[in-house]
Amino acid sequence: MRKVWTLYHKEMLEALRSYKLIWVPVVFMILGIMQPLTTYYMPEILKASGNVPPGMLEGYEMPGAAVVMAQTLGQYGTIGMLILVLGVMNSLAGERSGGTIEMLMVKPVAPAAIVSAKWAAQLTTLIVALGLGVAGAAYYTEQLMGPLSWGRLCAGAGLYGLWLLCAVSLTLLFSAWLRGPAAAFLGLGSAAAMSLAHSLLPSQLGWTPAALTAQSAAIITEGRGGTWGPACSAGVLIVVCLAAASLLIRRNKLPD
Amino acid sequence: MDEIKWGLIWPLLVLQAVLAIIGLISLAKAERTRGPKWLWVIILIFGNLLGSVAYFTIGRKES
Repeated sequence: MRKVWTLYHKEMLEALRSYKLIWVPVVFMILGIMQPLTTYYMPEILKASGNVPPGMLEGYEMPGAAVVMAQTLGQYGTIGMLILVLGVMNSLAGERSGGTIEMLMVKPVAPAAIVSAKWAAQLTTLIVALGLGVAGAAYYTEQLMGPLSWGRLCAGAGLYGLWLLCAVSLTLLFSAWLRGPAAAFLGLGSAAAMSLAHSLLPSQLGWTPAALTAQSAAIITEGRGGTWGPACSAGVLIVVCLAAASLLIRRNKLPD
Repeated sequence: MDEIKWGLIWPLLVLQAVLAIIGLISLAKAERTRGPKWLWVIILIFGNLLGSVAYFTIGRKES
């Protein structure tokens, strides 16, 4: 446990020095406050861009506060996920291609310790970024659209964060096996495949982690949670990813 | 929606500026980048959010 803590400390130091711990949360905050702002000023933006057919703006109805928050989380599901995955793709692949993993492995450190320290560092970045982003978005939404239920919002953001963590963990696993860009491609690809499968067969695959995004939107807008299935399967998926990544690192260390 | 609420817009501009400035600091310290440095300076200053994200994700080379 002490070793994991030391490695985690090193990872966090690296995230600070590469400014990752600053720029990822700042981007999440920008994305978060842009969504309510652009929704609020949409008629003005359309007017300024010209060529608006007459009568179109009369039909524009301001969406409710909860809907805007659900849309904001949707932004994190696309651009946010891309940023997080690109940030994690080199975490193990970079150590392998740079040769530092051997230096790390000659010390008496378990592969599981390395993998879990890396994962914990990514989780910290995710929590800081999502927390600040959602807080900014919620403040703007309350100012522009109306009051929000903070309890529902926290539950929804937590579920969405769990889905993002699934994509991050998958990329970490691929990063233990392939080069960075390939790991990012496969990580995003498998997350996209899961959500596609879920949108094609929503009733059969309602227990998969991909259902977390819909569940999160339902909690924020309607307040009904649904089952624990998606959260449990996401937890299992994350643990399997970490275990498999540790096994791959151990096997790569001893090529016999 | 009578007037534009500048009180809500300036934080967005500040965040964009912070992002570009962090990018420029990181660029000044970086030994190697993918592509010429002067190009990244232009992208960071004029590229808004996407420019900064592009620099942080693909612009830097690990030594």
